[in-house]
Amino acid sequence: MQKRLTRVAIAVLAVSALVGVTAPSNAGVKGIKGGLKIAIMPKAVNIGYFTAWDKGATNACKEIGARCTYLGPTQATGAAQVQFINQVIQQKYNVLVISAADQNAIVPALNKAKAAGITIVTSDADVDPTASASRVTSILPAASARIGTAEVDWIAQATGGKGSIAILSAAATAANQNAWIAAMGPYLTSKYPNMSWVGGTVDKSVFYGNDDATTSTQQFDAILAQYPKVAGIISPTTVGVLAAAQEKKAKGATVAVTGLGLPSQMAPYIEDGTIQKVGLWNPIDLGYVAVYAAAEAASGTFSGAVGSTFYAGPTKKAQKTYTVTAGGITYLGDPFTFDKSNIAVFKAIY
Amino acid sequence: MKRINFTWDKGILVLLVLTIFVGSFITPYFANASNMSFVIQDIGEFMLMSIPVTFLIIAGEIDLSIGSTVCLSSASIGYSYRHGIPFWFCIIIGLVVGLLCGLINGLLVTKFGLQSLAVTIGTLALFRGLCYVLLGNQPVNQLPSSYTNLGSNAIPHTFFPYVSILILIFGAIGWFTLHYSRIGRWTFAIGINVEAAKFSGIPVARMKLALFMITGLMAGLAGVVYTFRFASASPDGATGYELSVIASVLFGGVSIAGGVGTIWGVMAAVLELGVIRSVLQLSNVSANTLLVVSGGLLLLSVAVPRAIEISRNRRKLVSKS
Amino acid sequence: MTKYVAKLLNIREIPVLIALLIVLVVTGIANPQFLSRSGAQDLFLGVAVIATLSVGQTFVITMRHVDLSVGSTAGFTAYMIGKESGDHHGLITCLFVALTIGLLVGACNGFMVAYLKLPSLVVTLSSLWIVRGLFNQIAGGNTITDFQVPVSLGYLGRHSFLDVPYIFLIAISLVLFATYVMRNARSARDLYAMGSNPPASALAGIPVARRTFFAFLACGAVSGLGGAILLARFHSADSNSGLGLELNVIAACVVGGVAIAGGVGTPLGALIGALLLQSITLALGALGVSQFWQLAVNGTLLISAISLDRYLSLRVKPTRILRAE
Repeated sequence: MQKRLTRVAIAVLAVSALVGVTAPSNAGVKGIKGGLKIAIMPKAVNIGYFTAWDKGATNACKEIGARCTYLGPTQATGAAQVQFINQVIQQKYNVLVISAADQNAIVPALNKAKAAGITIVTSDADVDPTASASRVTSILPAASARIGTAEVDWIAQATGGKGSIAILSAAATAANQNAWIAAMGPYLTSKYPNMSWVGGTVDKSVFYGNDDATTSTQQFDAILAQYPKVAGIISPTTVGVLAAAQEKKAKGATVAVTGLGLPSQMAPYIEDGTIQKVGLWNPIDLGYVAVYAAAEAASGTFSGAVGSTFYAGPTKKAQKTYTVTAGGITYLGDPFTFDKSNIAVFKAIY
Repeated sequence: MKRINFTWDKGILVLLVLTIFVGSFITPYFANASNMSFVIQDIGEFMLMSIPVTFLIIAGEIDLSIGSTVCLSSASIGYSYRHGIPFWFCIIIGLVVGLLCGLINGLLVTKFGLQSLAVTIGTLALFRGLCYVLLGNQPVNQLPSSYTNLGSNAIPHTFFPYVSILILIFGAIGWFTLHYSRIGRWTFAIGINVEAAKFSGIPVARMKLALFMITGLMAGLAGVVYTFRFASASPDGATGYELSVIASVLFGGVSIAGGVGTIWGVMAAVLELGVIRSVLQLSNVSANTLLVVSGGLLLLSVAVPRAIEISRNRRKLVSKS
Repeated sequence: MTKYVAKLLNIREIPVLIALLIVLVVTGIANPQFLSRSGAQDLFLGVAVIATLSVGQTFVITMRHVDLSVGSTAGFTAYMIGKESGDHHGLITCLFVALTIGLLVGACNGFMVAYLKLPSLVVTLSSLWIVRGLFNQIAGGNTITDFQVPVSLGYLGRHSFLDVPYIFLIAISLVLFATYVMRNARSARDLYAMGSNPPASALAGIPVARRTFFAFLACGAVSGLGGAILLARFHSADSNSGLGLELNVIAACVVGGVAIAGGVGTPLGALIGALLLQSITLALGALGVSQFWQLAVNGTLLISAISLDRYLSLRVKPTRILRAE
């Protein structure tokens, strides 16, 4: 009896091996080609934010029956990412979902990939607007103006609508952050007359933390040292806002801090009152939607033209439709905000 | 001593052939025209910079600011173009900027008598800082595609990218100069014994100044190539290039103590490192492993000749008794 | 009077100290906030890590070697302390982790430089990459945050004794101890001889290989300690921790009188050099220099500091190591 069972088991295993049943049993989504080979490329593989981004991408891959690989450089530079784009070309991937480490430097490489027949979608960080032809569409959380102005609103709530504000940003050349900061400047001046920028103009009030915990901490201290009366600091980067929260708590400073923060990282500081509110979109969604957009483009059902639409979701019931807007950009929606009322829920998600 | 390093130079060539051979079997994606073209492009700037750095290290000096010089040259090109200067002239500006950087390094070392290791840490910061002064947080893009295509495309009917032309020209010049000209002999002499070189009438200070200037000029050229390849100029380009170039030169059998080395060993080493990276990457080896492998290879490049030397000495002792 | 001034200037560390005082005074006049209690604390906190690492680097540089792996070692140690120790372990565990990693790296470096006689630049450049590669692999995308830092270590990083931060007190104690040892202990004084004239020191009977090995071992151990201080100061660590620290440490040493050519300089000088460079960085902010100019100005001042030190060293006698001989 046992011998027979064992023989049956071996036979089943052998057949399974032949059939290659290692992938999950989802047969794919209607309208999307099955078995696509998709490369998911973050700015750098060592950053926690992109691990969440990849989680969403992998979920989508499983639903559509694609083979996905997470690959990318250890340093978030354009030159390093170009090497991996070449790998994607050489290893004959069908689709590339990428968060651009440098909005200009990777464009020639992306054009080469496009010429090799690879469908390209940027997600989280786009290429320069002048190079929008090198990718089908870009999946971004919300318009720069909305993200920037939202952060100004958060800091105004925390400071009571008055005082001087400084910004703790990422790298000086970070395109996303620069766009958000550009939106912050005029908005603060027009909507909050009792608030000002520490350096007079928004451009003179930005400190660059380079997405490095050590540098961000030092720049936070530098802000306090140069502008002791600063009322609020906006940090539109997850590394920066975490460093600022930590240092604020350590120094017992009274300056208000807000920005874009991962709820899982910021939870302790929201719970103990150091931070009133931060916000962020869900990077999982960014990755998820990007894979669907790219897969549909690769299947020929989505062109990426302004006004065209695509859907993300495995079944008709679970699908959500997205529309491409000017510049070939698809927006997901406004960022979520996290404060004491909802942090407990979100900190477990991402 | 000289014999051993020639063995390592030959060893590098053997390693290169072996890697290409083995690599084509390990992964099917490696040995094709498109990938080879990319590999050559990827190492193009390093190849150009490693030629003068070979001279510099043989002469007993070092330059840690070359990465920043590449960035500054690129930033100058971008800055000039942004201000309406015709692009061909911007290229010349980029080269001149590189030359000036080399001049500054050279003067600090020869006229002020500062140690090159220390002072080039300072110029590393200064030159990169100037990149930010020029471009701020606004990279320059939309450079004329007739030029930048030279950075992406291959020479028609071949798989060689345009940078191969520069590599061949300067490689040949470097090879001939180092091994067959008076300047090359002087470089070796300075590296082996500075005092003796001075006393034999070699203009040591002028030579070192010239070597730094040429290093700067070639870094400027690498900056032009860099700008073409990425079709843009940014203040944070070429970070960490200096250690990679120096490592490649050392891997090529050039002794850090000075006085020993060959150009073809260095060029083979640069190509070898690019090939290894490509093979490992296409075999899905993680970038972290790549780092460890690079470090290990560098170590081997000095450990193997040393081991050979030790065993040779031991044999000598044994045979004597 | 001039005789006393001349004698004072003879001490290698004095010129750097004067430069430091000039920077502090000039900036303090322009921005009094700079010299306040919090300004001083920022200076001490900012310099603690580099000051610690420069102790080990001084040992190595005086022998005409260099250790480029200190940044990777320190960063790796910072991460591992956070990962292994957890919230509740004490200082002893932290120290144990720090020293284990540091000594391991130092021993490897030391063995290859001292006994295999491989060039230190090459060996430590390799270790820089190998350690960083292993570190990246182990750390992945994780970040050590506030809540994984051992409480006792975290306390040291955030608090002060008599207004001087604990980590700076630790650094300066190490510096003073190391300076005393280098000036008086025979085995340490041998390092100066080895740096001044390697063949002669070997002929004079100095056990060169053993001294070299222990110097790299000490440098590694100090790097591990530096990693602990890095974690204490910033309460965070990830795979990019410690990136580029080695060049800052070497700069601090050189500015502080520890010549690359070897044979001269003390950890105290390196500490003053580190204070000078850090105060320049803070001063640029305090004086309102634009963010985009700060790096260029910093580089220029670094070059000036190196030049000034060189100029004065040519006019001044080297460190008095041996007492009345």
